[in-house]
Amino acid sequence: MNKALRSPTIFLLFILPALILFVMFFIYPIFSSIYYSFTSWNGVSTHVKGIGLDNYTKALEQKRFWVSVQNNGWFIVFSVFIQVPLIVLFSLLIAHVKKLKGLYKTTVFLPSIMSTAVIGILWGFIYEPDIGLLNQILGTFGIQPIYWLSDERFAMLSILITNAWQWTGFYIVMVLAAILSIPGELDEAAAIDGATAFQRATQITLPLIRPIISVVIMLSIAGAMKAADIVLVMTKGGPAGSTEVMATYMIKYAITNFKYGYGNTIAVLIFIFTVIITVLYQLLIARRNERIEY
Amino acid sequence: MAHTWKKGLPHFFLLLYLVVILFPFLFVLFSSVKPDNNAIALNPFGIPHKLVFQNYVEAWVNAKISTYFFNSLYISILSSVVSILLGAMFAFAVTRMRYGRVAAALFGLVLVGMLIPNNALMLPIYTLVRKLHILDTHWALIIPYVANAIPFTIIILAAFMRSLPSEIEEAAVMDGLRSGGIFARMIVPLTVPAMVTVFIVNFLGNWNEFLLANYFLSNDDLRTLPVGMVQFRDQYQMNYAQMSAGIVFSVVPVIVIYAILQEKIIEGVTAGSVKG
Repeated sequence: MNKALRSPTIFLLFILPALILFVMFFIYPIFSSIYYSFTSWNGVSTHVKGIGLDNYTKALEQKRFWVSVQNNGWFIVFSVFIQVPLIVLFSLLIAHVKKLKGLYKTTVFLPSIMSTAVIGILWGFIYEPDIGLLNQILGTFGIQPIYWLSDERFAMLSILITNAWQWTGFYIVMVLAAILSIPGELDEAAAIDGATAFQRATQITLPLIRPIISVVIMLSIAGAMKAADIVLVMTKGGPAGSTEVMATYMIKYAITNFKYGYGNTIAVLIFIFTVIITVLYQLLIARRNERIEY
Repeated sequence: MAHTWKKGLPHFFLLLYLVVILFPFLFVLFSSVKPDNNAIALNPFGIPHKLVFQNYVEAWVNAKISTYFFNSLYISILSSVVSILLGAMFAFAVTRMRYGRVAAALFGLVLVGMLIPNNALMLPIYTLVRKLHILDTHWALIIPYVANAIPFTIIILAAFMRSLPSEIEEAAVMDGLRSGGIFARMIVPLTVPAMVTVFIVNFLGNWNEFLLANYFLSNDDLRTLPVGMVQFRDQYQMNYAQMSAGIVFSVVPVIVIYAILQEKIIEGVTAGSVKG
């Protein structure tokens, strides 16, 4: 065998550049965040003062923090209970039709490769009260202009709709791939037995794609926990903090208000919350959807 | 009769969905060639009688969309290429060299990186970038982008390299190649298909990235397109025709790339979705 492939020096040379970057930008930041979350550091001074759990108790007592947690929650609720049913429905429809399948698949995927910032701007224009598309359409039905992004009652909903518009097609393509990989004979046999398209969809296809739906829900939850750019671009967390999410709350404190220690506390809390939700989901729901063989 | 109606119903819902996807784009496209807000308000749904291209000139030249555009292009291409180079070297070492346990442990470590919510790491990375004295240079984005892409790049490239037959090394030994030669002359050329997929995913990710780009650069001439667009919007808030032209500039390149490479993109991005 080739000696060169056994040389420790060469091995190190090949792995080190990537490994150093990985440690610098993944491992070090985790420990750094945990460390600074116990300090009142402002991010610039040379003096770092440890304050124990003060940042954590402060966060948990802040109403605005809980509003941001709740808004991450809205992202999750909206994706699981509105987006996922739509994803499943449209995936089944696309799988069912014979003509234009390719067109549907390519078009629905399009928004998900765009920059969230630009999509936020585009939808900001659509929500514009006077000349935006949405109010113009509502206007033709005689509905008075709605201040979508500056009315506390509608701002969060407007963001959730934009987010769903961007990502639904992405998940449809994933679910569609799973549906199309199911052997056709199953469906054909059922069709010969006289099952209607609806019966075949609900009794054959749906149970078989449960694992991928579970993955979609997991990914939506992960996406919901890290939502930030869409909020920053569309409302900057306003009006009156009503659309703040954990990540924008963290940024606001750490970078804009120089409360670096407190910001890191929020980062650690984002981490902990994500882990808790993921583990709970895995234990309570995903375990029942174990791999299905066919 | 009932039969054709049943057949048409799925298409009805699907076409409705396509309208919901495409109409916002058309609305912005039409608005971009209208003279002002008034013209948009009077005729929101159609193309104007007289096309005005001044908005595009204004956006591209005066509002510096061109500067942002080329900054984005440079940063996205450079970071994607470097992450593939470093990722391929790492993947080569852990899959083709004889270090079973060490390699498996290192590979596992990098896999864990896929599970970490990136946003939560933004603050320490900000401090790190400042300590490296690269804040407010393009390196402030390029290096974190490279690092960020490394787990995904390694996972895809390693999976691909594992599928290559082991006779490659034997053939290389006959040819008298060393590790560097095996990597450069045999593994890399064979891995190109996987690299293309990884390049597209990394490129799109970097091209669209907003948070780091927004907070790590303050010099306006260095900004990337998503950040530049947000600034442009804030500046021209009242001029929706010009803003639409700016949106068209940011969206068209992605649509063109997508039109050419859609299969590869869908395949690559859904493979990357493991990252969430």
